[in-house]
Parts: sequence; structure tokens; C-alpha cells
Amino acid sequence: MDLTLSIQQKQIRRMVRQFAKAELAPIAKEIDEEGRFPWEVVEKMGPLNLFGMQAPRQYGGAQLESISYCLVIEEISRVCASMGLMLAVHNSVVVYPISQFGNDEQKAKFLPPLASGDKIGAFCLTEPNAGSDAMAIESTAIRDGDSYIVNANKIFVTNGGVADTLILFVSVDPEDVKKGFSAILVERGTPGFEVGLLENNCGMRANPVTSIILTDCRVPKANLLGREGEGFNIAMAALDIGRIGIAAQAVGIAQAALDASLKYAKERIQFRVPLARHQAIQMMLADMGTMVEAARLLTLKAAHVRDQGGELSGPSAMAKLFAGRTASKVASMGVQIHGGYGYSKDYPIERYFRDARATEIYEGTNEIQQIVIARELLKGGED
Amino acid sequence: MNIIVCIKQVVAGDRVKLDPRTYSLVRSAEFSYINPFDLYALDMAVQLKKEYSGSITAVTMGPKISEEVLWEALAFGADRAVLLSDPRFTASDTLATSYVLGMGIRKIGKFDLILCGVRTTDGDTGQVGPQLAEELDLPHISGVEKVEREKELFRVERISDGFREVLEVSAPALFTISPKGAVRIPSLIEIQDAFTKYSIECWNLEDLNADPTKVGTSGSGTWVEGLTPIAEEKSCVYIEGDPRQQARILLEKLIEKSLLS
Repeated sequence: MDLTLSIQQKQIRRMVRQFAKAELAPIAKEIDEEGRFPWEVVEKMGPLNLFGMQAPRQYGGAQLESISYCLVIEEISRVCASMGLMLAVHNSVVVYPISQFGNDEQKAKFLPPLASGDKIGAFCLTEPNAGSDAMAIESTAIRDGDSYIVNANKIFVTNGGVADTLILFVSVDPEDVKKGFSAILVERGTPGFEVGLLENNCGMRANPVTSIILTDCRVPKANLLGREGEGFNIAMAALDIGRIGIAAQAVGIAQAALDASLKYAKERIQFRVPLARHQAIQMMLADMGTMVEAARLLTLKAAHVRDQGGELSGPSAMAKLFAGRTASKVASMGVQIHGGYGYSKDYPIERYFRDARATEIYEGTNEIQQIVIARELLKGGED
Repeated sequence: MNIIVCIKQVVAGDRVKLDPRTYSLVRSAEFSYINPFDLYALDMAVQLKKEYSGSITAVTMGPKISEEVLWEALAFGADRAVLLSDPRFTASDTLATSYVLGMGIRKIGKFDLILCGVRTTDGDTGQVGPQLAEELDLPHISGVEKVEREKELFRVERISDGFREVLEVSAPALFTISPKGAVRIPSLIEIQDAFTKYSIECWNLEDLNADPTKVGTSGSGTWVEGLTPIAEEKSCVYIEGDPRQQARILLEKLIEKSLLS
């Protein structure tokens, strides 16, 4: 078992760290406060292949292995979680399912502009009455000649405000959602396609999370991803992969909270010595560091399992559950170390605290991860 | 145009540890990277290759772990990478380093131009570039900002004492490149391609046919006699008064310390 990164992986991490430090660090606070999507930086991510990290080379992707993918998401999220989220969603629950389940025509049409960053992707599953219970979706796609007539109301769509290519989960059979559950590719600008209101979220504020509404929207039959009825499998496969990215994102936020806390603990003087000299603070820092490292190892383990072609549901759910909780816990402890300043917008720790919380909710809540993990544990036989 | 770029692996500034006996740097792979000044030399080489075609060979001297910076150079656009590594090269000063680099470059073969960073962030001598030019008996210009090739000549520009100098020099030559602007970051595909397309050539003392008395401590004209850390003392001065008075006092103090004129 080798737990060291290769020279190539370290170089990728360094490249992304350099980019995040130069381009995102100076604006992370401002774009969070303004709820602004930083196009000027996003445009620079395409030429670095950050939009096609794991897409096949023939479609302009970098075809990275999953450890490197996690390192990239971690480093971006460490500086700006909103942009880490944007990339994680685009790469893992949009580009990946098209690469995996798309036919040759779909791959040739949709992947190159997504991999280059000319187009941004979004994944639309959640609805007002369906979230963790995905089968409760009410969106429909009814066959009409060579098209589907799609009616959908999707909410909490990450990247919603900027997405050009969206994977939408609908039922082609309103009488039997389970049988008709399907994935369909929709492009912004199609008549009947409308971007709804921007969510006023507590964290990840630079990501334009919106609702997406389709009203009698005519989508070519050629945009059906996989077969009719295959949508649930596609959604679950995408989320298995996606959860590794969200885990990596959570690790990045947790690392940022730890970095900020270490810095503050060395600077702030109380009782005539830096906070870092007080054992109570040292113990918090020790626990934070240990949790971050454990979350990172679980995340990289899940990435490794993916690359080895192993059964992914359990490892990726464990990574996301633990890393999400770690991010929230470590950021909360970071606020505590910062005291009153931790509750102020003058220090970045409050942003990490707000951003971290989302990682326990999206792409499957903690409770959904627990269901997945328990199911995997219980179906396993004895060694 | 065939260009050789000399690069060095340095330890991150806040991670520098010194061997208490030899005063030499303790290297760790985790916190080492390419000397930031060398990136400007590489960047210049990539621009020149784009304009005049040819090849870029990156060369470094150091222990095995310094091959990491050669991979970085390959991702950046180099076509060939050479590591000069031998335990006998350890503790070489700038003179011995220039000798080893010179022997390596003789073995690499024909070239038009050698580019170096102006200095390193660790040793900070700025000597290796000029010494290497002497070793190879080449003309050299330091702190170059712009390079153009005109037949057998290079026309270069550099800023010196508030003037922009335009100089001409015959090829082959050696330039140290002034750090200016932001350096390009390689893409994920460029990094991956470096690892799939290339390999690192590693040469030791025998491969270079080098004189063992001219390398390492025996080849060094200088050695570190002693090293004492300097504790920087910081003090905080409170300026009293209304904002206008405070601004005036601050201005006076800055002028007094020659921080403003």
C-alpha cells in the first residue's frame, strides 16, 4: 500500500494551488459577499483543462485519474468553495455521465464545449416535492414524434444561473415514474427553458444556485441520455462519482479552516502568550488536524477504488459523510478558536463555516449517505 | 534555435532548514519546487521556441529528488531534461556548480543560447549564470527582458539604472532573465503529457568526464565558515492625534526612514 502522491500528482496539486492563490484568493471574500459568479477567473480555468478533468482526450479532456481530480477540487475549494462546487458538479455529475452513458453522437456534440469550459453544466434532480426521495419527481417528458415535450420545475440547481448544458431527470411515463425515470440533455435557450430565481443561500454564495423551469419545452429525442427508464441508474452512478468530488471539496474547506485557525492561534495574544500556547487551543487544533487527515484519506481511498473499478457506493458515501461532517466540525471549532472575530465577516473563518454546512446536504444528505453505507454493510457477507 | 535552460530546485522559504554541521540546506521533496526566477527563463525559452522553432533542454544539478523540477520544466514546454547528479557534487559552491553545469552542457552538445534565472530564492548569489558563461567562454548579459534573433546575433533589451539598454551579442550566448509579469501556469494536459512523452536523462561524474577535484567541496573556492540566525525585532509605534495629525506624523516618519521621498 503506497500512500505517497506521485511526482505528477504533486505537480498537479502545485499547479492548481498556484492558480487558486493567484486568481481566486484575492476575490473569494468579495464574490461571496456580492454573490457574484467570477467570469473573469472562470474563463482562465478552461485553458488549464479544469472543465474537462476526467473527460476522454479525444473530446478535449485531460483524462485525469481520480486522485488527481480530488487534489484539484480540494485545492480550489480550499480557497473558494463556490468555485470548487462549480467544478465538482460540472466535471462529475455532468461531464462524467455524458462520457459514460452518452452515445457517440452525444459525446461528440456535448463533450468538447463542456471540456473546454465554453459551456458550463448542471445536474437537475431536486424538485419542490422530490429530493432525497428522487422517485417522487413530477417532471415529465412526453414523446411527440422525434421530440419530447418537457415540463419540469427543478430547484436548488447548482450552476443553474450560468449553465448551458443541463442533465434533467424526468419521467417519460407520468403514470409510472419508476418505469419512466429518464435522463435528458437540455440546452439553455431552448424555447420554454427558463432560469428561475437565484437562491439566497447562506453559503456557497458565488455559485448561482437557481431553479430551472421548462414549460412545454421541445427537446430532440436524440438528447435522451441512455435509454428510457435508465435515468435512475444514471443519476445514482453520477452521484457515486459526484460524492467523491464533494468529499474532496469538504476536505478543502476543512483544510482552509485549519490553516486559518493555525495562523490566528499564533497571532492572537491572550494572557500574555499566543493562543497556540494554551493547551485548550492545542487540543482543538490536534483534533482538527486529525479529522482533516482522516477525511482526506477516506476521500482518496474512494478515488482509488473508483480507478481500480471497485464497488464505489459504500466508499464514496463514507467519504462524503465523514468529510462533510469534518468540514462542518472543523470550521465550527475554527470559529471557536477565533472567538468574537470568528463571528465577524472580517475573518474568512465565518465563510468556511457557512460553506462547510452545505457539504452535509447536497449530492445526498448525511442521512442518505448513512442509508447507502448501511445497505452496503448489511449486504456484505462475513470474511 | 536550440536553447538550454538551467534550473534549480529550491526549498520553500518558510521551510528552510540547515544542517547544523555543514550549514548546507536540508532538502525535503514535499516543500521543494522550481526556483521561481527560473520560471521566467523557461517562459522566455518557450516564447523564443514559438517564434524561431528549435528545442529546449532543461538542465539541473542536484540530488535525485531534484528531478521533480525537470518534470515541471517538461510540463512548461521543455523537450528534453537532464539531471546532473552524483554524491560527489554535494556541497558545491557556485564555482563548482558552474563547472558541473558547463560539463553537462558540453555533453548536451550544440546550442544557440543558454538562459538562467537572475538568482535563486535560497542561495541568492546570482553568480551561477555569469560563472557558467565564463566556464564555457561565452558572452553573457544579465537581467534581460527581451530577446530577438538576427542571423548570428542576438539583440536584447534590459533595464539598468533607470535606462533601457539595447545590446547586441554574437551567438551562442548566455542571458539571465529578469522576472517580469506573471508566469504562465501549465495545463493539466501539459503536465500529463510531460510524464507520458518524456523521460529524464541522469548523468554522473563519469558520464560528464568531469575532474573530481573541481566538484563538491574540493572544487569549491568558498565555504561557509559560520552561520548565525538574525533575530528581527519588531516594535509597534502608536501615533496619537486627530487623523490629519496622524497622517502628517506617519508621513514624516516614512520620509525619515527613506521609505518615501
